[in-house]
Amino acid sequence: MESMGSAAIFYATAAVVLGSALYVVVGRNLVHSAFALVAAFFGVAVFYVYLGADFLAGAQVLIYVGGILTLLLFGVMLTNRIYNLNLRSGAIQVVPGALSAGLVFALLVWIIQSVDWGAMDSGDPGPTSESIGRLLVGDYLLPFEIASVLLLIALMGAAMLVRRRGSS
Amino acid sequence: MSDALQSLSRFLPELILMAALAVVIVADLLTQRRPLKSSTDLLTGITLVGLLGALVTSWQALGAGEAQSLFASMLADDGLLGVFRPIFCLTSIVVLLLSMRSKELEGVRLGEMLALLLTVTAALMWMAGSINLVMIYLSLETVSVASYIMVGYLSSDRLSNEASLKYILFGAVSTGAMLFGLSLLYGMTATLDLYGVRAALAEGAFGPGLLFVLVLIAAGIGFKIAAAPFHFWCPDVYTGAPTPVTAFLSVGPKAAGFAILIRFFYLGLAEPAGGGAIAPVGGADWQMLLMMLAVITMTLGNVAALLQTNVKRLLAYSSIAHAGTMLMAACVLSVEGVQAIAAYLAIYLFMNLGAFTVVILAHRVTGSFEIDSYAGFWKRSPLLTVAMGIFLFSLMGIPPFAGFLAKWYVFAAVINAGLGWLAVVGVLNAAVAAFYYVKILRVMVIDEETGPTPALAFSRLDLGLLVLLVVPNVLGLLFWGSLDRVTEYSQTLLELG
Amino acid sequence: MIPLEHYLYISAALFSLGVFGVLTRRNAVNVLMSIELIFNSANINLVAFSRFVEGALGGQVFALLVIVIAACEAAVALAIVMSLYRVMKNVNLDEAAELKG
Repeated sequence: MESMGSAAIFYATAAVVLGSALYVVVGRNLVHSAFALVAAFFGVAVFYVYLGADFLAGAQVLIYVGGILTLLLFGVMLTNRIYNLNLRSGAIQVVPGALSAGLVFALLVWIIQSVDWGAMDSGDPGPTSESIGRLLVGDYLLPFEIASVLLLIALMGAAMLVRRRGSS
Repeated sequence: MSDALQSLSRFLPELILMAALAVVIVADLLTQRRPLKSSTDLLTGITLVGLLGALVTSWQALGAGEAQSLFASMLADDGLLGVFRPIFCLTSIVVLLLSMRSKELEGVRLGEMLALLLTVTAALMWMAGSINLVMIYLSLETVSVASYIMVGYLSSDRLSNEASLKYILFGAVSTGAMLFGLSLLYGMTATLDLYGVRAALAEGAFGPGLLFVLVLIAAGIGFKIAAAPFHFWCPDVYTGAPTPVTAFLSVGPKAAGFAILIRFFYLGLAEPAGGGAIAPVGGADWQMLLMMLAVITMTLGNVAALLQTNVKRLLAYSSIAHAGTMLMAACVLSVEGVQAIAAYLAIYLFMNLGAFTVVILAHRVTGSFEIDSYAGFWKRSPLLTVAMGIFLFSLMGIPPFAGFLAKWYVFAAVINAGLGWLAVVGVLNAAVAAFYYVKILRVMVIDEETGPTPALAFSRLDLGLLVLLVVPNVLGLLFWGSLDRVTEYSQTLLELG
Repeated sequence: MIPLEHYLYISAALFSLGVFGVLTRRNAVNVLMSIELIFNSANINLVAFSRFVEGALGGQVFALLVIVIAACEAAVALAIVMSLYRVMKNVNLDEAAELKG
């Protein structure tokens, strides 16, 4: 019974994620789209919990919901003030777009079905923070350091781009 | 941990670049209140020292020591990385000198630009060395993010901003598709290591499903080398970006894109088949995929270039066409193809950056990037016209200039691999390309100037830069032997594992 | 227990929706949101494969780095949108068309 309940929650989450994702790409109001994106990100974090990726679920909520979405909302608010009714997100080329996306989806479904993934559940890995931490300073030391360089220049570059220049 | 410490000694060029980055950032902060000129000079000096240090150390590392993997199999320090490192350093040095002479960047604080240049040079090396899916993606994104900022550097200029926005949206979509492809590849092979990927693919046939995954991954790589149909950003970004940045994009990321292409396809998706040849694994015919990309890219680049009136746009399409030529060599499936690409890039660096140098110097006087504004240059500055002539003839592939050698390598490799029809397409394309290169020269030499004609004056730096770029193009044939020896290192890739 | 394939179907659907958004949206911020959907779909794959196929944490570390990269990209993209908005007071892609494709 318990696993059925858990499965029901999973599929309900899936419905929420896909529903909000659909709203993100067809909705007419940017602010609403941004909030739909919050729901989608939270849903993905729930999937991570189901997959036993506890640390990643936390990171997803912290960075996506707390960071990226706040940024996006800032972007929406600052570039389309509420009194500025020019919230145009008019979608064009809907039919060819839907056809291409549908084709991609069909292809992916076919791949998922045709490939033998050799799936076997390795079981719940338990708390992952320690293992991930060890990997980041062990096998994945170089990517970890490169990510910090990337963060540094992204921060510097973003600050430079929005700073008003004396000359302009 | 001891592995990481051991790896550091083979990591010297990148370490020097990172040290220079730290110094530049701090020096930039400390000199905020100083006059622009003195602060820029100081920062440029530091950057130049860093890049020269990286160039010297990467030259010394070339061919020294056995190929080995670094940082728990994240990077391979082998001949391929060895050959590409100096290419990246030279590109960045020329671009650094160009940004000092570009009119667009005059009166702009260059601190961030120099920091970005140092970062992106190191990131290009990470790209060329990566043998792990995580590294491939991460290094490619580092190069991309730094390039987005460099393109939008003139933040009060509308064109620069638009170019940057187009670049980042297009780039994020391409790399997103690539990431999705990589995630599926990870699922198919249960490993992130390229050698592991090869081993897993060799065991099972994945067929058309794998091919679709490869198309997704090719989107990311194709975006970096500006191959059709992932090239849409290229003309706009090249036009809108500050010209030194355009010059950089046309060589640096393209070269690194080819390095990653070789690594990914030749190492991860093929196994050595004896005699320097390789055989694709996993039942996906990616040779066909690359051949299609090569033909489309060459043809589209050359035909579209015929129609351009803006020299930056023209050079954008011409760089797409050159990517197509190099893609031909990637279809060869043997070490010969790898060597041809390395040699082509080494020469392409000098001819393409040379053309951009002339464009930047001309822009200082004319303030225009239209080809028409070059009318009467022969009378105003024979020197600049002759230099441009050499670069353009080299780009065309006409002997005795170095560009001929580059084309020779590629066509020889393609014909030896029995791909005669592909070589025919390539030759036809080279013939088309001659038209638009000659068009620029015709305007410079034959057309009469119409407006006022301010004198063309050069600083010593300009002359030095022109000489630096002209000499390899003219004397290329003399250095044939040594180029051959250098690029031979690039073949050690296929012996590593 | 949820089978691997179901995660993959969800991520495939999310990816396709992202592609649809990228193709049809004209507002830069909206395109960015669609791109975030694509990144998330890839991450679901990575984490699912990490558990069901590799049986190790490689995929999770990859996904973590992807989140960091996505944050960097979003920050830079929004800075550019901001800067462009200051220059031209509009962020619809159609109007950023002084440069024609």
